[in-house]
Amino acid sequence: MSKIAIDAASRGNTATSTMSKKRRSKNSATDNLTGFLFVSPWLICFLVFTAIPMVISLWLAFTDYDLLGSWSFVGLDNFKRMFFVDKRYMSSIVATLKYVVIAVPLRLAFALAVAMLLNNYRRGITLYRAAYYAPSVVGGSIAVAVMWRQIFGTQGAINALLAIVGIQGPSWFGNPATAIWTLIIMAAWQFGSPMLIFLAGLRQIPKELYEAAAIDGANGWHSFWRVTFPLLTPIIFFNLIMQTIHGLRAFTQAFIITEGRPLDSTLFYALYLYQRAFVTFHMGYASAMAWVLLLVIGLVTAINFKLSSLWVHYETSEV
Amino acid sequence: MRTKFFTLFCIVLVAGLLAACAIPPATPLPGEATEASAPTEKPTEEATDAPTVEAAPEPVELSILWWGSDKRHEITQQVLNMYTAENPHVTFAPEYSSWSDYWTVSNTKAAGGELPCIMQQDYAYLNEWTSRELLMSLNEFIDSGTLDMSDVPADFLAGGTIDGNVYAIPLGVNAQAFIIEKNVFGEAGLDIPQPDWTWDDFEVLAGEIKDKTGIWAQGADLPAEAMWKSLYLAYGEWAFNEDGTALGYENDEPLIAYMKMIKRLQEIGALPTAEEGTEYSGAGPEASPLVLGKAAMDYRWSNQVVAVVNAAGKGREFVLVPLPRPVDGKQPSVYIKPASFFAITSTCKAPEEAARFISYFTNSLEANEVLAAERGVPIAAQVRDGLKEKMDPVTGMTFDFIALVQEDASPLPPPDPAGWGDIRTNVWTPIFVDPVLYGQITIEEGVKVLRREADAILAQNKR
Repeated sequence: MSKIAIDAASRGNTATSTMSKKRRSKNSATDNLTGFLFVSPWLICFLVFTAIPMVISLWLAFTDYDLLGSWSFVGLDNFKRMFFVDKRYMSSIVATLKYVVIAVPLRLAFALAVAMLLNNYRRGITLYRAAYYAPSVVGGSIAVAVMWRQIFGTQGAINALLAIVGIQGPSWFGNPATAIWTLIIMAAWQFGSPMLIFLAGLRQIPKELYEAAAIDGANGWHSFWRVTFPLLTPIIFFNLIMQTIHGLRAFTQAFIITEGRPLDSTLFYALYLYQRAFVTFHMGYASAMAWVLLLVIGLVTAINFKLSSLWVHYETSEV
Repeated sequence: MRTKFFTLFCIVLVAGLLAACAIPPATPLPGEATEASAPTEKPTEEATDAPTVEAAPEPVELSILWWGSDKRHEITQQVLNMYTAENPHVTFAPEYSSWSDYWTVSNTKAAGGELPCIMQQDYAYLNEWTSRELLMSLNEFIDSGTLDMSDVPADFLAGGTIDGNVYAIPLGVNAQAFIIEKNVFGEAGLDIPQPDWTWDDFEVLAGEIKDKTGIWAQGADLPAEAMWKSLYLAYGEWAFNEDGTALGYENDEPLIAYMKMIKRLQEIGALPTAEEGTEYSGAGPEASPLVLGKAAMDYRWSNQVVAVVNAAGKGREFVLVPLPRPVDGKQPSVYIKPASFFAITSTCKAPEEAARFISYFTNSLEANEVLAAERGVPIAAQVRDGLKEKMDPVTGMTFDFIALVQEDASPLPPPDPAGWGDIRTNVWTPIFVDPVLYGQITIEEGVKVLRREADAILAQNKR
């Protein structure tokens, strides 16, 4: 049914119901060819740079390939080593989970709070929006990472401020307990992209609901929990999914700022994967790690979707 | 309709595959890597052709790859130009990177069968690369005189020799040094240590430095894996056994004693603590505690001394002493090591020309005046003597240092076994040094973990 409808639509008003079935199929093949030709640059690139490498990497995950020379099929050895032998692998999981569990909610909370502040029509509001979005634009960059080193260094800005009130600041990067927090704070600071999405979501909430709530005597707190939050849950859910995936793949900050140290407390999964692949050239092991990461991301996302029915509120009727 | 649709999809798919297949010469499948590297007979064929090549030199382009600083890129490029000016039929396709990216670049090239003709090599990786037949034996070029090594002491050449085959020519030699800031020692009334000083002397000295100056005796580099190797070298042993399948020593006590000393010195503030250390470990010479005036000494390989001294700026005086040795050791900790090599890869199409260029690079005084011993003290005697007079005082200091070490040095230990990079990255720092210095595990537990994990990695070399 729908196919015919699309075909009819594509031909516009000139389409006639008398057209024979054969003719229609011929036309649609031509249409398809045109379509595939149009997407072929993308399709070819997808195959060459994504699909085929993925298949090869899946195969490498079961080998001990190390870039330089001969390789052999090792079955599940890479996975066994990962789960039962490799201590650094476990450190990387702990560091990544800690980061995701703390940094993602923190970032979303910041993003939502700032989005609500910016959701009005004050003079110069666009300037503020741009300003708050800026950290996300530059966030992944080396320059910010280097700046972070300066801020949290032993002689850095934070400790200089602490020194004014007579506190000898610790070595933030040197202490295994504090090092990961410098990265978590950085993640929270880069709330720009979820903020933009929240802002768009906030715009969709009808003003009448707030007016009605105000008439019923709701204060700001009530109207947030009774109106804003429920209507925003689909957006929050979307942001949660995206940011969780993003968090599980975190790399740059740890690579530049801490190199995973001290004591592997900031050894993110992606950083360890990189070290295995491009420092010690254990391509097979790294491929296995990459596939486990993919499965974990899939699993976490699936769980999130499952749990979403408990708290995400979808408007069924048109607003 | 559906079948046509499917056929079409297949055509696109095949087109995609074809596009992918067009690349293979550059990226053969992993398993083919060893087959792709040219068989070893190749040099012989080329060598027999040699006379005709000399009679009418055909234009040759030599690809060449090295790592280093911007300074090195600049001066090396200059020497390549000089060589082309003298030998117009030889041109170069140079590529270079920093040390941190170098092995990623070269390993990827090796996997793709795209290695350059000449590549800079390191002592740590030489074994692995030759065992995978990626490098060419240079014996016949040395025998024929194309690669003139007549002016090079045999023990300098030993570093690039494996099983009687010379695979790589050292570009310079260096040795482990303690850089000492003279003024700090002078003001504190401390004597510059003797060349044969011991770790016990060091500990006493470090305490005195702390007491009299308040600054650290040393930066954060003492728990480096190179120290571990030098420590056992002093006992006439080596960190790895001969075939690189396990650790090469039975007694963990020297390492325990060494780590204990570091902890003691950290406790009295003579060395940066583990926490303080992370901020300096791996930092370049510009950010080293010595340069920043926070430490009186700095541990470096001697070819890095120039960078440290330059970073320190004018008006500061430094002196080099060899690495301390253990009191009960049999021989010095320090040895003369090739800082880096040039090697000819087995896929090189013009190894004869490549060898001729390396010969020039080694023996030409003119070229080495430009290179200015930046890769370490040159190995050819005449070049070394010729340069010495023209060098700036700092470089001259490293020349004198190498001469001093040469008088009393341990023999060059064998190249590191395959898996060394794995041990350094995944064992030494993350599960031995850091847990011990952060007090998570005791030193005694630490050395056991080190042995267990390192042995597990090295055991893979048994295959």
